[in-house]
Amino acid sequence: MAEQQYDAIVVGSGISGGWAAKELTEKGLKVLMLERGRNIEHIKDYVNANKEAWDHPHRGGRTQQMIQDYPVLKRDYPLNETNLDYWCVDKESPYTETKRFDWFRGYHVGGRSLMWGRQSYRWSDLDFEANGKEGVGVDWPVRYKDIAPWYDYVEKFAGISGNRDGLAVLPDGQFLPPMDLTCVEKDVAERIKKEFKGERHLIIGRTANITVPHGGRPGCQFRNKCWLGCPFGGYFSTQSSTLPAAMATGNLTLRPWSIVTEIKYDKDKKRATGVTVLDAETNKTIEYKAKIIFVNASTLNSTWILMNSATDVWEGGLGSSSNALGKNLMDHHLGIGAGGLVEGYEDQYTFGRRANGFYIPRFRNVGNDKRDYLRGFGYQGGGTRQGWQHEVAEFSIGAEFKEALTEPGVWTIGMGGFGEMLPDPTNKVTLDKTVKDKWGLNVLNIDCELKENEHKMRKDILADAQEMLEKAGVKNVQAHEGDGTPGRGIHEMGTARMGKDPKTSVLNGNNQVWDAPNVFVTDGAFMASASCVNPSLTYMAFTARAVDFAVSELKKGNL
Amino acid sequence: MMNRREALSRVAILTGGAVLGAEAFLSGCKTNSKGISLSKDDVAFLDEVAETIIPKTATPGAKDAKVGEFMKIMVNDCYETKDQTIFIEGIKKLDEASKKLNSKGFMESTPEQRKALLVSLDKEAKEYQKAAKPEDPKHYFTMFKQLTLSGFFTSEVGATKALRYVAVPGKFVGSYPYKKGDKAWATS
Repeated sequence: MAEQQYDAIVVGSGISGGWAAKELTEKGLKVLMLERGRNIEHIKDYVNANKEAWDHPHRGGRTQQMIQDYPVLKRDYPLNETNLDYWCVDKESPYTETKRFDWFRGYHVGGRSLMWGRQSYRWSDLDFEANGKEGVGVDWPVRYKDIAPWYDYVEKFAGISGNRDGLAVLPDGQFLPPMDLTCVEKDVAERIKKEFKGERHLIIGRTANITVPHGGRPGCQFRNKCWLGCPFGGYFSTQSSTLPAAMATGNLTLRPWSIVTEIKYDKDKKRATGVTVLDAETNKTIEYKAKIIFVNASTLNSTWILMNSATDVWEGGLGSSSNALGKNLMDHHLGIGAGGLVEGYEDQYTFGRRANGFYIPRFRNVGNDKRDYLRGFGYQGGGTRQGWQHEVAEFSIGAEFKEALTEPGVWTIGMGGFGEMLPDPTNKVTLDKTVKDKWGLNVLNIDCELKENEHKMRKDILADAQEMLEKAGVKNVQAHEGDGTPGRGIHEMGTARMGKDPKTSVLNGNNQVWDAPNVFVTDGAFMASASCVNPSLTYMAFTARAVDFAVSELKKGNL
Repeated sequence: MMNRREALSRVAILTGGAVLGAEAFLSGCKTNSKGISLSKDDVAFLDEVAETIIPKTATPGAKDAKVGEFMKIMVNDCYETKDQTIFIEGIKKLDEASKKLNSKGFMESTPEQRKALLVSLDKEAKEYQKAAKPEDPKHYFTMFKQLTLSGFFTSEVGATKALRYVAVPGKFVGSYPYKKGDKAWATS
């Protein structure tokens, strides 16, 4: 059995793992980054990035073979022909569902940083204070003032484009120039502002696409092909941003095909000593030692690793002494909103393909607004002019029909809600030892559903979307309502939450495992609540902050 | 991952039950095919049907985009068995309808006769789809038309000649001048 020693090990290479590796290596630590899947090299391995629809035999769609091969991925839009190899092979890595939970995973270097939606929003104290004020879950040990400098720090490096809108509920950040709203979005934004007396706002999305050259990257070319991997480094990913920075230090070793099965724990010293790796290609077991371990395997897999670690001390695994490990799984619930037609603007169109949309920040349960549920939701959407897919009333066949379709149709606008899901201990993951994956490892069982608070909120999401669009003069407004199956937000959060008390939380306010101070969990697992904004920017900020703390503790001899 | 999500739901709202090419393409063809055989003659037949729907004008038409071949691939790989059956039987049904209306087979008909036939079939299909429940089988002509439109407008000639396409726009402008007659952007 080979043994190797590093200063720090980072488990996982996605958004938070990439940040951990960058920060640790830049502080001079020798770091091993372990990734369970294959390597994907920036630009070189983005094999479909320059393909057009017509280069794909099914024009990017899905075949019956794909549907058979991907029993989970097929449940929503991710199953497609253009970036199939960026998604985890469901059949190799099964999980079991007490209730349906759509778990869409990326098992490769970069993880879901390659395919993420890039929307990047700060939390505010409305979010950080909610648990404590309402007595839901556990109070966050962190407030906005603690994390704000770290938001500044990660935004400056990652490159977030956005407008400084001056909204308390959605703090401004260190933005690159914003993208343009379309003429119709501007119109609707004005009307919403007026109709709702300045209490509701339609703003341009804040996105990790760089609108000007940034950090040696040329920038977004407005191709809207982000999820194929961007040869221009147009958006933040591990490959475009944190990995090259970490590599440049000379302190990083990246090891793909490395499934971390366990964190080794010394019960006398109360410290982790390293990790056990199963080589996904050779099935050989290897141990690596380190002084610090960052667990960034993605929310549910980080919890899986903890559950499989130190079981000789705690039957439920490392962090289970809190009785919180695996509990309080959250996502954002979505699939609900409205859309319609906007009259006029026939002499206006757009140029370029904006990989972004508009955002309507939360307005429910803000200020004097009080609802029969807790928390709130935001909307994401777009106002665009129809392409060839518009209806043609006069013609159905032939030259006139064709010519009509080759001209743009009317302007449309649509939006969907992203709702906050409350932490609830009955929404949970556990180890399911009856099912094994391709490598003979036990799998997770997921038992999660929307509860009463979310169902009540969804009524508002639907009604408010309709009302706002109608008041803004949008015609033929139609609502759409899905079932909000959790997982579909692809924002898994919780299951190893941070808190103030080791009896009720897995981590302290520095993302440090109470029972193993040299183990840090900084992916979505640490989240004690979910807010309604997209979470990745918050993972980045907490990761950079936790590394800063970890290295200072290491230097003090505390780890 | 909002853009794609929102784009899909928006198309779903706007197309509703309408006969539009994007629908099968975006909803991603529920399938369980065992493989079907469409002959060269079938492909040639489908090419002519598609060309009647989207003829060559000042810009290329469906045959230039090899829509017949595209239909074969999509029906083979993406259609469920029951839809494959409807599609294949549809070739015969269309030809029979041609004989009834024009007293000759589709391939033997003049362009005007072909157009008249497809106009009547389009009407029939729309009426059928309007009354149909979601679980009812689709009308074969709806399939032909959807595949023709998606096949043509996502083809290279369709996207770059009939529509406009800029591979690397380099910028985004939210209010860009448009005058009647300017082509729509192909969004691929």
